[in-house]
Amino acid sequence: MTAALLFAALALIGLGIVATAASSTVRAGLLAQAGGAALLGIAGFYALAAGTTAGSGFTSAFAPHFGVDGLTAFFLGTVGLVAAPTLLFASRYLDATARGRTVAALTGAFVLTLVEVLCARDPLTFLAGWELMTLLPAATILVAHSDRSARRNVFLYVAVTHLAGAGTWVAVLLAAHAGALDGGATIGRGSGLQIAIALAALVGMGTKAGVMPLHSWLPRAHPIAPAPVSALMSGVMIKIAVYGLVRVLVDWLGVLPVWTGVLVLALGALSAVGGVVYALFQHDLKRLLAFHSIENVGIIVLGLGACLVLRARGADTWAALALAAALLHTLNHAVFKSLLFLGAGSFERAVGALELDRLGGLLRRMPWTGGAFFVGALAIAGVPPLNGFASEWLTLQALVHVPAYGGLGDGVAGAVALAALAATAALAVFCFVKVVGLVLLGPPRRDAVAHAVEAPLAMRSAMFFLGGACLVLGLAPGLLVGSLAGLAPWHAVVPTAFGLHPPGTGSLRTVGLAVALGVLVPVLVALRSRSAAAPAPAWACGQLVQPQLRWTSAGFTKPLRLVLEAVLRPQRQIAVRVQGGVVQEVAYSGRIPQLLDERVYLPALRSALTAAAHARRLQTGRLGTYVGYLIALVLVLLAAAKTGLIG
Amino acid sequence: MTAVSLTSAAVELVGGVLLAPLLPGLVQHWKARLQGRRGPSPVQPYRELRRLWGKSTVAPQGSSVVYRWAPAVSASSMAVAVLLVPVASRAPDLGIGRDVITLIGLLALARFAVTAASWDGGNGFSLMGASRDLTIAVPVEATLVLAVAVAALVSGTTNLVGIVAGTAGTAVWSNPALALGAVAFALVLVAETGRQPIDNPDTHLELTMIHEGPLLEYAGRDLAFLQWTAAARHWIVLVLAAQVFLPHTHSAWAQLAILPVALVALCAALAVTETLTAKMRILLAPRLVAIGGIAALLGIASWLVQIS
Repeated sequence: MTAALLFAALALIGLGIVATAASSTVRAGLLAQAGGAALLGIAGFYALAAGTTAGSGFTSAFAPHFGVDGLTAFFLGTVGLVAAPTLLFASRYLDATARGRTVAALTGAFVLTLVEVLCARDPLTFLAGWELMTLLPAATILVAHSDRSARRNVFLYVAVTHLAGAGTWVAVLLAAHAGALDGGATIGRGSGLQIAIALAALVGMGTKAGVMPLHSWLPRAHPIAPAPVSALMSGVMIKIAVYGLVRVLVDWLGVLPVWTGVLVLALGALSAVGGVVYALFQHDLKRLLAFHSIENVGIIVLGLGACLVLRARGADTWAALALAAALLHTLNHAVFKSLLFLGAGSFERAVGALELDRLGGLLRRMPWTGGAFFVGALAIAGVPPLNGFASEWLTLQALVHVPAYGGLGDGVAGAVALAALAATAALAVFCFVKVVGLVLLGPPRRDAVAHAVEAPLAMRSAMFFLGGACLVLGLAPGLLVGSLAGLAPWHAVVPTAFGLHPPGTGSLRTVGLAVALGVLVPVLVALRSRSAAAPAPAWACGQLVQPQLRWTSAGFTKPLRLVLEAVLRPQRQIAVRVQGGVVQEVAYSGRIPQLLDERVYLPALRSALTAAAHARRLQTGRLGTYVGYLIALVLVLLAAAKTGLIG
Repeated sequence: MTAVSLTSAAVELVGGVLLAPLLPGLVQHWKARLQGRRGPSPVQPYRELRRLWGKSTVAPQGSSVVYRWAPAVSASSMAVAVLLVPVASRAPDLGIGRDVITLIGLLALARFAVTAASWDGGNGFSLMGASRDLTIAVPVEATLVLAVAVAALVSGTTNLVGIVAGTAGTAVWSNPALALGAVAFALVLVAETGRQPIDNPDTHLELTMIHEGPLLEYAGRDLAFLQWTAAARHWIVLVLAAQVFLPHTHSAWAQLAILPVALVALCAALAVTETLTAKMRILLAPRLVAIGGIAALLGIASWLVQIS
């Protein structure tokens, strides 16, 4: 059943890719792809719920093998759930020009690659898919934008993910060599090999997931892609890296030492807080959303870290729940982030540039798109009763239980991670209040925005579907958590219910909460609406509110910028032009530098380039020099053989 | 359902919904007395609510449904939060659970609604208050989570009924973990109720407002909802302080009997700190709250040392 559904899905996506070749069938092709993706989602969640496996299991052999197990099924479901509405959106978003058709075909191929990585059951197929998964979005971006800055950002993206991606190769090949893939051989706990594989996976897959401090490529690459591709990159591609991390750290490596779990917790806390703090100070909507991907990957990694620590401490049930929290947030983030990126794409199509300070009032102009975007914003801000809150709730619970089962060191680490996640949640509320305020509310801030028109039905329905998914996943997270906790390779039983009822602690009664809010809010609104409302201008101490007096993104976040000044090191320049003793003009510019890029990566890059320039002197281009090198090499080898160093 | 759990549910509903406005009223009353003024009567908040109920609301030009719904959303989430907080260790589950992390989520929902509405109204002073409120909320939320984590670790659950039972007795005086948690919670209490030294509830100067700022444009029933929300927030944090971080008995009946005394004492304490301290520079407030966070971290560390 699973295999049949999967084959049908892949065939439909393949057919859809072929159909995008002609401009008359490009829309039908994308719809076929969307249908295929929907089948993929059904296949994935069906296999997860039924607990079925298909195809072969993991093998260390270097021949193509494919198969589906529970973890793969869950991620296949996630890919399908996000890709189906995204491709439906793309069917109206992309036009039938050669450029649009190429993007359409590449998007379908990208989805197929993701499926290939997930279903790969041998190291070679996995790694081949892994590389393709990096290259296809790069190609898509280059097809969509051919300007210099886009080329530069794509180069950086490919370079960073390939350089650090070596970690993935090292991890997978070492694990295959040790025979850990098929579960035959176990790697000794705390052995050098186990640690090496874990660290290599953290570097390689962490880069791909956008974990700080390896995130520099993400905010550059994600915003410049066409909206559906951005949605797939942020929603799904970086989640495949999470799949890789879970596969290596939880599935293949057995029980890791406690300190690796603490390291993962630290990486998660840094990404979560760092991602959302930098997101707050962005002035472009898509770039802001990209930084939020770093934040949410951080939350997922926090869950994963809690899982590793709890596993090492022998708290099997809570380790499984922490894993379930990480996976649940993976799904939730995939849903609301793709919704937000698609919303951003609709706004961009309607009004052009997405500079936050020059939007405004789009809820009035585009009520359906704006409403769906609002739901996504509430979900990512983590407020009940939407899905973002449910998975953050479970992650917080898992982190509370880290000290409960831990020693002093990892217990304190768990508590710090707990505080970091709480601060992240508060910062996310801050950030999305700002986004909602600047994008959806208030008066329009430029002419194009004042004349925006609502998106077409296909695009709207894609966003509605995702918004509905935010609501459903917020109401019934417990239906998934049971099967997700069951994916842990150790034995753990978690009861299945609508809400979240982890054993021995408080429970999140999602339905009760939603009903209580759903009854109270309309009643109170009805009560207030009985009295008359007097229209009045907003109070500005008797002045008229001029456009210049309106609040900006930078102004709204200023208190936080001042509080965090010591960490963020904001830069600002004020240039005053004085003529004849009279100030003519005051120019102000301020920015928040990416400290990691400017203090670590750029100096490292510069010194590497300098070293390369020095090394290039060895290449003189004269035959005599190279003969000299050869003779020197032979002499050195001979000397080494003579003294017994080699041979 | 036993008599004590029925009574607890009744006290929650009546106390949290109807008596909550009395708490800020008491603080204002005693604060005025301490400062040598006659001041308003403790029931002044009720008079204001009655006055506002009869007035028409105001809709700033260009505002949308977000502005109109925000007070209702804020008041509803606070009402649900009131039902989460047990007044005694035998309080029944009212169908929404008793989980403390859910409570933090509901506080965030109320904050989201009101601060988003200040963008919708477009009042610059509202936005100033909103941005400050959101800034201070960051350390407050982290400290609050750590403070309740201390109590949750000591009692082995995040269920508030379990926490009230698990922290019963005078453990808070003898257990350094709970004492440090209480220090953290005290700072959260001051921040959440919007009192000095973090915020000044008496200010009429828009430039210095924090929690009051986003309320500036509202009038009539909208403002009544928001004022009730602020009062309910007092109820929630004061009840939590009394039943978790102050000594309380093991018996649920005795807990119910002592609760009014503890609430009155906490109101008096707030009146005294309001009189003794001045509002601090806004940028220093996060540091003050962060000290609470560090105290709670030390509390968790000391708990870890105790059990090992």
